[in-house]
Amino acid sequence: MAKNIGLIMKKDLRGLGHERTILLAILLQLFIALFSSFLMVGLTSMYDPAALSKNSPIHYHIAYSGSDSGLRNLLVSDNSLRVYNMDLAPALQTLKERKVAAVVYVPDTKPDAADPVKITLYTIKNDLQAAVVDVKLKEQFVKYEGELRQIRAERIDAEPVPLEIPKNTGGNDFYEFVYGLLIPLLVIMPAIISSALVIDLITEEYQNNTLETLLSAPISANEIFWGKVAAALVLVPLQAGTWLFLLVLNGITVVNAPQILLYVTLLAMVLILVASITALYYRERTAAQFVYSTAIVVLMLFSLALPDNPMNLIAKLSTGSAGPEQWLVLGLIIAVVLVLSVATNRYAEKSMRINQAPR
Amino acid sequence: MGYTRDILTIAKWEIKRSVGTMGKNVLPVALILIVLLIAVTGFTAKNGLHLQDGIYKVGTNDPEFASLFSGDTRFSVNLADTGTITHNQDSFDLIIFNHVVYVHDTDRGRAAAKTMDRDYTKYRSNVYNQQSDLFAAYPLWIDEQYVKSELDFAATQSGQQISLRPRSSQPPQPTGPVEPVVLPEASIGVSSDELRADLQQSTSRNSQISRYTDMFSGSGNPLGTYKTPDQLSPPLPFDSIILVFLFIFPLYFMSQFYMMSIMNERVGRRGELLLSTPAKPSAIILGKALPYFIGMVGISAVLTLWIQASPFIVLPLIPVILFFLAVALLIGMISRSFKELSFISIFFSTIATSYLFFPSIFANIHVVSLISPLTLIILTLQGTAITVTDYLYSTSLFWLSAAVLFYVGVVNFREERLFSQSDLFAKTSDFIASTLSFKRPYLSLFLFNAFLIPFVFMVQLMLLVLFFNLPMPLSLILLLVGAAFVEEIAKSLGIYSMIRKAPAFFTWPVIAGASLVTALGFLFGEKLLLFVTLSQITDSVFGSILFTSIGVLWMPFLLHFSCVLIIAASIKKGGEIGYGIGLLTAVAIHCIYNMYLILGWFS
Repeated sequence: MAKNIGLIMKKDLRGLGHERTILLAILLQLFIALFSSFLMVGLTSMYDPAALSKNSPIHYHIAYSGSDSGLRNLLVSDNSLRVYNMDLAPALQTLKERKVAAVVYVPDTKPDAADPVKITLYTIKNDLQAAVVDVKLKEQFVKYEGELRQIRAERIDAEPVPLEIPKNTGGNDFYEFVYGLLIPLLVIMPAIISSALVIDLITEEYQNNTLETLLSAPISANEIFWGKVAAALVLVPLQAGTWLFLLVLNGITVVNAPQILLYVTLLAMVLILVASITALYYRERTAAQFVYSTAIVVLMLFSLALPDNPMNLIAKLSTGSAGPEQWLVLGLIIAVVLVLSVATNRYAEKSMRINQAPR
Repeated sequence: MGYTRDILTIAKWEIKRSVGTMGKNVLPVALILIVLLIAVTGFTAKNGLHLQDGIYKVGTNDPEFASLFSGDTRFSVNLADTGTITHNQDSFDLIIFNHVVYVHDTDRGRAAAKTMDRDYTKYRSNVYNQQSDLFAAYPLWIDEQYVKSELDFAATQSGQQISLRPRSSQPPQPTGPVEPVVLPEASIGVSSDELRADLQQSTSRNSQISRYTDMFSGSGNPLGTYKTPDQLSPPLPFDSIILVFLFIFPLYFMSQFYMMSIMNERVGRRGELLLSTPAKPSAIILGKALPYFIGMVGISAVLTLWIQASPFIVLPLIPVILFFLAVALLIGMISRSFKELSFISIFFSTIATSYLFFPSIFANIHVVSLISPLTLIILTLQGTAITVTDYLYSTSLFWLSAAVLFYVGVVNFREERLFSQSDLFAKTSDFIASTLSFKRPYLSLFLFNAFLIPFVFMVQLMLLVLFFNLPMPLSLILLLVGAAFVEEIAKSLGIYSMIRKAPAFFTWPVIAGASLVTALGFLFGEKLLLFVTLSQITDSVFGSILFTSIGVLWMPFLLHFSCVLIIAASIKKGGEIGYGIGLLTAVAIHCIYNMYLILGWFS
């Protein structure tokens, strides 16, 4: 039994290797890895310009217009800004010519007035640099808001519970992006690719009429089926492992890598079994792929809406914050895999024997 | 007349066939799945995405903060007495004692602090916007006005950032004429109740979804132009970009069906029947594509109506649709098996999506963004007018390459190509070789290389977008080397395919002649396309290169010629290995040339 399954698995894997398509898959992974790291560098430099330019501080030129205020002092005290007093009209023209990065106009409103202080901020529309300047200016605006609030404090009837959170701890905004989105997506991708692959492996035998030939050999239908599942499955930890390795090379530490690989492989097993049931039923690639890919979107969305879902667990494992609940989820997934395996096994035996034409 | 009738007949067959195979078994299941999809989307919208639950651990002895932060599922909050928490302090990312947050010194701890800071700001806003005197709680309002800058291609291309002039105490002086402006009003002109409603709406937005968008754009205010400092956010067109995905995804799906339909003709030589009809291959290909084309345009039109956008949005999508179909045709014709089909199409769709999607992030910022037709959609959605030149600039590559790909498909749509089982590289090479005629080898090499230019440009622009982000000297070097590689590979494709097919035909004089026309064709196509597409930006510069200073044309011609000659000669001498060596040599020469002439190094 195991020997025959191994034979079929080897045959299908050899087919993949022979076609050199697996090369494309690897290329694709490298491409995405490159792309996401470029994206990271780009976005980080946009939102935290200081991170990239520690040695050569960048100065942004700001035109200040209107009446003098506490805000002007705050802006001047910021080392990364260079503030010039200008009239509004020439200031706006220099902004259009990109000689200044922003224009701030402050009206003549008293700090303790009943009305709010309404300042006008001119920036260049949808500009990367403007985005950076916005972030820089925001810091000073928030400080000035605090000063004004202080001045108007007695008019406030309920203060929020005070809480002192250390600022500038250097926390990376992209921590959540990397661990809470990128890593779960990257490791789940091989599982999705493999489940699409198993549809191809099965429908191909039907559509090329090669199943009869295979069945005439001393190999049972179930052995053929499980060989194909094994071929698709074995690629998952390999690919996901490569991902994790690439991430580590990029300087992103992933703890609990073995557990993550275990979960991904089990999840892949669930997806592959669902995919192979679809393929066994339709025996034709277009229909099977269409139905399966719609079904997988439904399944993924649904599971994401549940607490402690497997994707969440991968996020928690990679940050190292998973608690004992991980074992419960593991047990549940194993149970699902077992039930599905038994059911698929029966279905495969029945459906691969009777008439072989695509439905 | 007969030709159009053929196309229509085949289109009718195609519809009948796909409805026939899909109809009985798939349609009911698909309907159930779509109903389920809607239900699940509703469920998920209500329940929220639980992807990042409990990644941060918080310990506190204050029940007030415990209840405050347990509202955010990212925190798992532990309420205990001081002793227990200090005893286990290493297991917490954040500890709150006496209104002070202590941060565990790890990446996770610092990220947790940042998240908590955002949550606390939100909570504070909630308290403040209940105040009876709103202008005491929110004393500062910002009216953000955007000024449209004239795009300065030269400045941004050379990596110059705005307003990074050397230190000077003199304020910058405008060079253009100063237009008079009306000073903004000091009063806010909106009642505090309206502002309060805005504030409450923006803080009560679905935090589950805004969490992901906040990562990029801060907590934006969807209404009004007045913002509190906390709401100030970088102006990125993320909403429009999400809409764009809505458009591209169905197109990709539909082109899959076309791909499968072509592939199915090849499975078990089923297509022989079609080929034996008097219909020409081009009629078969177009006829089979027609239903999908109409379907894709129809879906785009419906989506446009649904989001109530300008119908002009469909215009930039048409070349994209044609390009997708053309690629689907070739993938369906080249792959040997379903597995190969899956991998190649996943590969293609990722690359195509990044080509389309990534530049559009920079919409309005940099001319680079216009290489993607999606940018036109974003601009239209934002209400910016698009000129005909914009349209030509961002879609011409798609029109041209779709046409070339369809041509390659038509030429190869015959028995010996469709039913052969040779591998991917050999087959691609065969496909290229059959577009080239051995009767007129020079003319076809010239035309082949001229028509290759749109693809070379696409790949090079992709590289530009990829490297655009990196710090300046590094990005330029990577771009130079990458571009040289792409150009040399492209130039060698035609000649390589021909030599591989008929080695004896290529005597030394023929090799020299073939290299000559290859270089000529490449140069011709390059200059022509640059002139057509980029002339709007640097009109004068390209005009002068093309028409007045022929001397400037000699240099690139010599470069192209010698590089092709090196490669062709090494193929003749050393076969496959020779090709590799020749290619590397040519790339090296190309890089040195670029560094010397364009960057002015070593001089």
